[in-house]
Amino acid sequence: MIAFREVVRKNSLLLTKSNSYLFNSLGYVAPNAAFIGQDYKIQVRFGSTKHWNPKWKPFRRLKVIKVDLPDFNEAAESKNYSPDEVRAKMKERGMSPPRPWMERPFEISSTSDIFEPYVPPEGDGKASYISKEGAKQSAEMVSKKSKTWLAFRKIRNFDEDFEGKHFAAEAQKIYLNVHKAVSEKDKNTLRVLVTEKAYPEVTLNMRSRTIVWNFLDTIEEPRVVHARCTDVIQKENVFAQITCRFFTKQSLAIYDRFGRLAHGSEVVAKDVLEYVVFEKHLANQYGEWRVHGKIIPEWAPTNFETSYRTFRMSN
Amino acid sequence: MSYGYCSILDEEWSEPNRDLEGPDHVLMIVRHGVSHRFQPLDPLFQYSRLLFPAAVPAVSDKMTPVGSSNGSFSNVLVPTRNISTSNAVAMPYEKRLGPKGWPRYNNVVFPPQTMDEKRRPAYVCHMTTNIKYSPWKMWYVACFIRGMSVDEAVRQLSFVNKKGAGFVKKTLLEAQEIAVQDHNVEFRSNLWVAESFCTKGVVVKGIRRHARKRVGLVEYFHCHYFVRLEEGPPPKHYFTPSPDGPTLLQRWIDERRSQRVYGSY
Repeated sequence: MIAFREVVRKNSLLLTKSNSYLFNSLGYVAPNAAFIGQDYKIQVRFGSTKHWNPKWKPFRRLKVIKVDLPDFNEAAESKNYSPDEVRAKMKERGMSPPRPWMERPFEISSTSDIFEPYVPPEGDGKASYISKEGAKQSAEMVSKKSKTWLAFRKIRNFDEDFEGKHFAAEAQKIYLNVHKAVSEKDKNTLRVLVTEKAYPEVTLNMRSRTIVWNFLDTIEEPRVVHARCTDVIQKENVFAQITCRFFTKQSLAIYDRFGRLAHGSEVVAKDVLEYVVFEKHLANQYGEWRVHGKIIPEWAPTNFETSYRTFRMSN
Repeated sequence: MSYGYCSILDEEWSEPNRDLEGPDHVLMIVRHGVSHRFQPLDPLFQYSRLLFPAAVPAVSDKMTPVGSSNGSFSNVLVPTRNISTSNAVAMPYEKRLGPKGWPRYNNVVFPPQTMDEKRRPAYVCHMTTNIKYSPWKMWYVACFIRGMSVDEAVRQLSFVNKKGAGFVKKTLLEAQEIAVQDHNVEFRSNLWVAESFCTKGVVVKGIRRHARKRVGLVEYFHCHYFVRLEEGPPPKHYFTPSPDGPTLLQRWIDERRSQRVYGSY
């Protein structure tokens, strides 16, 4: 307990019950000339006002029955408890653990990754077909396609009408529908057009913003560039992944939560080169070709004209 | 279609994401408090690029790196954040207690603004629930920072001798970070405290003895603290300012003029 007391200053010397002389931390201080000979009061703090014999204090403390208050913010403070810690806490509370097995069956209708991803050649989209480099590129692509052809054959086992040439056009339709659904925030359509792996990635970027997207033109015809088949758990459970290359003209404007333009422009058209992976669950008779992911090459530029983020340099 | 049984492995202490559950696709998503990041360059979410078809330009477009000339801007990847935007955080086995409405204001999406409209200032709503502090005592701290800029409020709270000041300061700093990360606020100092209030939370009741076999109730109060930060400089007068000389004079004059002088016609 710190007590404030009004102490009377007499002739610049501090007189109290306990001490009759006082020096401040710097030593004796010469009195202010205006106050010499006059009494005036100042407020002073003293260290402890504890009673010299506090024999009843423990009894007073025992009168209040101690209550263990639960920490409501413990989860917020230290996230990511390990399973052992969580189990220990539940045991403390007398809560039974959850069932160690899952009774609800679930379906695996999409793979979790892009298998053997396509590596786009550097400088793609920067040279035309007619030039020497462009011709070289297209030649390279054809020669490296052995695995792709094998994958096509496997796809034809399940789907007889499949043809690599016609697939690209179909794929573009799906691709455009996905974009349309995203700009309209149509989650129901998106479920059908996009795999389970891609869905959270797409929807996360849809939230809390308005997207205005327009497809303007195709610069180069879409073409299949890569195909692979994989099986999940069982050998017969085959998934096919096909990568298509799209070179199109699009316009994109993204408005943030408050309706302010954060990226792009509704008016400016941009040339877009993309490698989109489509996936189909072949073993499933109701499987559809859906957008599964995107290949972003390392040489893709990362300097976007987004809204600025200002950082303070740590020195 | 393949059906499989999968045990909840120890590493995957997860809740099924109720948004996606349905007969067609049951997907197990482990919640790690993933936030909505306004960061189109996030490499973790490749699909951020899907929305930015202007990513890879052809020969014609020439994009210069943003802010390369001056060192203040940077295209640095956003570091992982430790704050979850979900409110009323609870342990996996606990029921979520407390208010849920306040952070819902953060989900409101405004339509794109026209060229005539003034730029709408960003805001962020944040809260801390069930702070072990009396709401009546917390009221003083909450009122204290109303109308201050965030920096000023944090500076002042560092020297307020109250237990609640620590919690309020923490909430303010969290809100500031959320504003910059998720709500497209450019400058973290360009925020001011638009709303700051507290309400009563959980009350745990205990007992104490009195003399002569009498019992007394001991209430352990908790409070919720809510804050809304808005983008921009703080307003000059958050509260109605005390009138200045000319205003007072004019009032005095008006009073005198409206006085009725009895007996005069």
